[in-house]
Amino acid sequence: MIPPFRKPRVRVMQPTVYTGMERVVFQPATYRGMQRGINQLVGAIRPTLGPRPRVVAIDHVDYHDKTPRLLDDGGTIARLIIELPDRDADVGAMFLRDVLWRLQQQVGDGTATAAVLFQAVFQRGVHYITAGGNARRLQTFLEEGLRTILGQLNEMVVHLSGREELARIAETVCYDPPLADLLGEIFDIVGEFGRVEIRPGRGRELEREYVEGMYWERGAVSRGMLDGDGQLRTDLEESAILISDLEVKHPQQLYPPLALVIRHNIRSLLMVVGEISDSAIGFLLSNKHPEKLRVVAVKTPGHDKEQKAWALEDLAVLTGGRAFVQAAGDTFERIRREDLGFARRAWADRYNFGIIGGKGNARQLRQHIATIRAAFERTDNPNTRNLLRERIGKLLGGSATLWVGGMTQREINERVERAKRAATALRGALREGVLPGGGVALLNCRPALEAMARVATDPDERAAYRILADAVTAPIRTIIANAGFDASEMLAAIKQQGPGYGFDVVRERVVHVAEAGIYDPAIVTKSVAYAAITSAAQALTIDVMVHHAQPEQAPLPDLSPPKQL
Amino acid sequence: MSIPDKMTDEMSLTEIVHALAASPNFAHDGLCFAARSSGLYRSEDGGFTWQPAHNPSGDGKPLPTSAVVFSPNFAVDGTVFAGVPGAVLRSEDGGKTWHTAALASPPPFVSVLAISPNYAEDGCVFAGTVEDGVFRSGDRGIHWAAWNFGLLDLNVLSLAVSPDYARDQTLFVGTDSGIFRSTTGGRAWREVDAGPEGTRSTDFAPVLSLAISPQYAADGTLFAGSEALGLYRSNDRGRTWQRLGGDALSGPINGIVLDPQYPARPRILVLLHTALVVSEDNGATWNEWYPDLQDDQTLTCVAAPLGLENGSPLLVSTTGGEVLIVRERFFKG
Repeated sequence: MIPPFRKPRVRVMQPTVYTGMERVVFQPATYRGMQRGINQLVGAIRPTLGPRPRVVAIDHVDYHDKTPRLLDDGGTIARLIIELPDRDADVGAMFLRDVLWRLQQQVGDGTATAAVLFQAVFQRGVHYITAGGNARRLQTFLEEGLRTILGQLNEMVVHLSGREELARIAETVCYDPPLADLLGEIFDIVGEFGRVEIRPGRGRELEREYVEGMYWERGAVSRGMLDGDGQLRTDLEESAILISDLEVKHPQQLYPPLALVIRHNIRSLLMVVGEISDSAIGFLLSNKHPEKLRVVAVKTPGHDKEQKAWALEDLAVLTGGRAFVQAAGDTFERIRREDLGFARRAWADRYNFGIIGGKGNARQLRQHIATIRAAFERTDNPNTRNLLRERIGKLLGGSATLWVGGMTQREINERVERAKRAATALRGALREGVLPGGGVALLNCRPALEAMARVATDPDERAAYRILADAVTAPIRTIIANAGFDASEMLAAIKQQGPGYGFDVVRERVVHVAEAGIYDPAIVTKSVAYAAITSAAQALTIDVMVHHAQPEQAPLPDLSPPKQL
Repeated sequence: MSIPDKMTDEMSLTEIVHALAASPNFAHDGLCFAARSSGLYRSEDGGFTWQPAHNPSGDGKPLPTSAVVFSPNFAVDGTVFAGVPGAVLRSEDGGKTWHTAALASPPPFVSVLAISPNYAEDGCVFAGTVEDGVFRSGDRGIHWAAWNFGLLDLNVLSLAVSPDYARDQTLFVGTDSGIFRSTTGGRAWREVDAGPEGTRSTDFAPVLSLAISPQYAADGTLFAGSEALGLYRSNDRGRTWQRLGGDALSGPINGIVLDPQYPARPRILVLLHTALVVSEDNGATWNEWYPDLQDDQTLTCVAAPLGLENGSPLLVSTTGGEVLIVRERFFKG
């Protein structure tokens, strides 16, 4: 059942086949049920794998639009399947759905590969366990084999740079050469941490814009502070910056900083304050001599205390000023010139304010960015990572906006989604390098796993490595089959050529994939292997399912993509 | 050594020659420019006599000039660029007439100019500034835009373009807090990975001068002269650095000149405050040479229009605004 997209969702109930009692499901029904669900979900996603994906149509995505949504992205397909009518199957499908959606959020790509890899491990694992194997021991050895796979992948990593190479990576995710080319250019310039906004365009074309300096999403507190030349924007040159989160209730609170800038013959002041009352705004607007002193007030950026503290800290480092903090009991009363920050240029419009050429200490700024980068590397929380990445992007002093056009609004929206996924993958590729694409990196792990299986004496251990050696061929088999070729025949041809070779679906021949420039972001392939194998190994340990008679009707969490990359 | 005509009657120690540039065709045309705080000067006789080269309209007062560079294709296009407050001057007739291209307000102070070796094809020119980072023009200096993405220190003191720029799009800037590299034709910048001998990149002192090997594509060699930490060389495109010269090269390194045949002939000339220091073994040993200077006079810039041949002229400028023509036999080989 498909819910309305981007609407408050409630689980759509199926007629239940039991009443009053909880139902407990034992083996072999547990495995069978889960397999049914996993097969259904993977069956829906499998056609999308590879550079020649087939499309999955999902109908009634939106109450207002009855036309089916055509998708070639496994993560979104998985997200839109929220319940299967067969409750045993539903457990398996939802288990996998959760894995895929988390993977999509984390690295932006790889969901279809993860789905087929998960299915391959799970199916072969079920066969082995039903034949008498031990699920818990199998899980242990599957995870041991995963370590070998990750080690092998690490040895294959290469680092790419330059517009063309990055564009090739983007194309493996979005399958849209003009879009990939532009993303390659943008990320070649902005780098891993750069601030990139991807927005729907108004026309058919793709456009990009680079913005100098850094900006925050807080506009001037009053239109009266902006130049009325049609742009509603004020540019300040050689501006002083007052940095604070103080609440300005009375105009008198502003006297000390204003007196200070006038005393020092400073002509422009950007005032960052936590809150400002109407009377204080009116006082600032009553300035009769803007040629002597121009003042623009904006509110402290950030949605919560932590983000505001970060913004104040960043502004202080960038401009060489001091942050006045309400919680520390600071006031403007004894403000000195060295408390002010300075910038070559500052600007504000109705929605944003920005700084170009902050006059803070460059060494301090570089160390500050290094500290935030270290925090970024330390944390695993995706939200914190996003916030820290945004912060670093701002401090690096520039941003890019990509306007994505298309023939219809639907096409534009889908292209925007693809662009965002490609952007996430590019960040990953810049951070952790790339691996041979087209399923070859995983295929190249097979000899190591076979060697481990040969020397293993424990039956569960041997089985685990054999399962993995077989499973790592699943992605390349699917890619070849999706392109309309015989997978076994092509795999034989690839094996004959030697390691590093794969099937170029576009050129329809066996090639050395690295030489042909077919790459996948390493973080995607490694995350796929990790997510698929650990979760399949865990799924194999599920022995009993319990269905509640009255499943709770709880709204699902909002899984719409983040607003900003 | 010979001391040429002074460019002004009254020499003042506040007068500084910020940059010297000699024509790529110097052996035939003897043309060179000196960018001085009192304006841009031009010589057609190898630096013996100098005339003001730029007389702006209005009050006719010359603009302080802080940088000057010749097009590598000067024999054909006659192009010269010079940096003045808030603008870059462009001449397409060897410096007889000038066009002004303004840079974004507030007016930046252009500290250094560099030009793409592939200028005839790509028309790229770069202007480093004191507070506004790097401006880039892709249309032969007509329009300029600041491209500072990733350039965390906007105080640019030196700039060097890869001789293989057409292919690698690489340039380096030396700033107040170290070195940044661009591999995107000056549109984005990255910190160099490490500072001297494994220290952090921010441990660099201000980098006053940079020089890139003519065979950079093959040897990846780059020299950086710092204000207080001496001379450094990187043989891996700026990833790691080794100090050269030890105490022989203490003090600010105001200029570095490599032999055009470097590294086959590994001659290096370094300009210190009061001395020229040369090495003919790629920095293993150094010899100092001190010009006759008046009290408090220091050396500011050097140009080697005919390379580092024994006895070929070196143009060396001083605080006070003089340009010395030095013809010494520095090298034994």
